[in-house]
Amino acid sequence: METDVLIIGAGPAGLAAALETASRGLAVILIDESSSLGGQLPQQTQLIRPLPAEYGPVRGFELAEKLINQLEDYPINYLLKHRVVGLYADGSVGITDEENVFPIKAKKMIVATGAAERAVAFPKWTMPGIMTIGAAQTLINRDFALPGNEAVIIGSSDFAMDVALQLKSVGVNVKGIVEEQPEVTARDNVKIERVQQSGVPIYLNAAIIEAKGNGEVSEVVIEHAGRVLTEKVDLVCVDGGRSPILDLFYQLGCSFGYQEKLGGWIPQYNSNFQTDRENAFLAGNAAGVTSQGAILLTGMIAGISVCENLQAISQDEAQQIRGSLLKELEILEDKDVWESRIHHIESYANPKLKDQFIS
Amino acid sequence: MDKSTIICRCEEISYEEIEEVIGNGARTFDDIKRLTRCGMGPCQAKICTSLVAKVIHAETGKPFHEIPLPRMRMPLSPIKLETLATSSTSFSTVKSVLDEVELEDGKVR
Repeated sequence: METDVLIIGAGPAGLAAALETASRGLAVILIDESSSLGGQLPQQTQLIRPLPAEYGPVRGFELAEKLINQLEDYPINYLLKHRVVGLYADGSVGITDEENVFPIKAKKMIVATGAAERAVAFPKWTMPGIMTIGAAQTLINRDFALPGNEAVIIGSSDFAMDVALQLKSVGVNVKGIVEEQPEVTARDNVKIERVQQSGVPIYLNAAIIEAKGNGEVSEVVIEHAGRVLTEKVDLVCVDGGRSPILDLFYQLGCSFGYQEKLGGWIPQYNSNFQTDRENAFLAGNAAGVTSQGAILLTGMIAGISVCENLQAISQDEAQQIRGSLLKELEILEDKDVWESRIHHIESYANPKLKDQFIS
Repeated sequence: MDKSTIICRCEEISYEEIEEVIGNGARTFDDIKRLTRCGMGPCQAKICTSLVAKVIHAETGKPFHEIPLPRMRMPLSPIKLETLATSSTSFSTVKSVLDEVELEDGKVR
C-alpha cells in the first residue's frame, strides 16, 4: 500500500491533521487500533474548552462528531482496528489487522499516538476495583456499566473533577478525593466548586497508605492531617497524570528530550512539528500532554507542515498559516505548558537521548 | 512507599526486589529489567516504566531527565506469531524460523 500521508492515531490530533492534508489534495491513510474514530473523545461528556473559535465550546463526543463530519467530503482511507507493529528496513510501516501483516509506504507520516494514563502504586493497587480515572469514565460513558457503588478518587486534576461529577451523576457515592499536594491540581475553579457543592470532600496533603480486600478492593486507608481514615469502597480511581506514547518514535530512531510539564520524555521536534527523522511529523499529546484545544492546533500545524513538504501549498502560505496557528496555540495553551514547549523546541539541536540502540 | 508494593504487575516484581538490584548497581530501567524480569510481561513495560523511574529517583536521587527510557522493541504490542509469519513476505526471519520447526502429528518433533 502506498500513500502521500500516513496518519497514525485517529484521535483529535490525527483527525485535525487529516483535514489539513486531505483538503489540500493529498492521499491520506488514517489508522487507529480501535474500532471507531475520535480517540478518547467519544466517551467524554464534559464540556471542552478552550477550543479554537471554529470548534467550541462543545462536549467531547460532539467535538468528535464535528471532526469526523468535516472529513466527509474527502477520500480518506480509514484503517480502523489496525495497528503498527514495527518498521521495515526500507522505512515502510508494518501494519496488522490481526490476520495479516503488510507494509505501508508513505511519503510522510504524522504520528499522533496520544498519551497513556500513568499508574499510581500503593500496596494492593493491582486488585480488581482499582482502575485509572479514564477507565472509570470509559465504563460509564462508553460501556454503560457502573464501575462500582462506593468510590474514592486519588488525584485532583481537572479530569478527576470531571469524572467525579460524572460518577455522582450515575449514582456512585464518591466518598472523597485524595490529593498529595497542598492544593487541588485542577485549574478550572468552576469545576472545583461544583465538586465541593456536590458534597465530595477533598483531602489535601493526604496520601493513600494501602488498599485492602480479599480478591477485590473493599477498603482504602488514607492518611490526612495526622489522622488515618478508613473508607469502605468497591472502586478506587487513580489519576497519576499521563505520559506520551513513544514506542513508534523509539523505533523510528527519534531523539528525545525531557519536559516535566509536557508529561516527561517526548520526541524532539522543531516549530514545524517535524521530528529529527525528516519523514516523521507528530501532533497531539504525543508531542507533549496538553489540553484538547492545543491538541487540535498541533494536529493542524503538523498537517500544514506536511503539505508544505509535499508541495501541496507554497512555503510562504505554510509559514503564514503556521505562524497564526502557533500564535493561537500560545493563547490557548496553559502558560507553563507553552513555555515548556518553546523550551523543548529550542533544544531541538541538543537532545538528551539520541542514537539509541534499536532492535 | 511500602516495600511490598508491586511495581511491575505483569511479572509481579515488588519495590523491594527493585531496591535490591539498585543496591547492586542497577541504574536504568533496562538494568533492572535484565536482573529481575521487570517490564518483560504482556504489557511490555507500558505500565511500569514511570513507576520504575520513580523508584530509581527515590533510591538514587537521580533526576528524572537522567533516567533514560527503556528500549522499545518490535513488535510494539503483542501479535500472534502466526499472524506475523504466515501472511508476511517481509518478516522473513520469523517465517524461516517457523519453517525450520518440523512437525509430526501436529507436534514439534
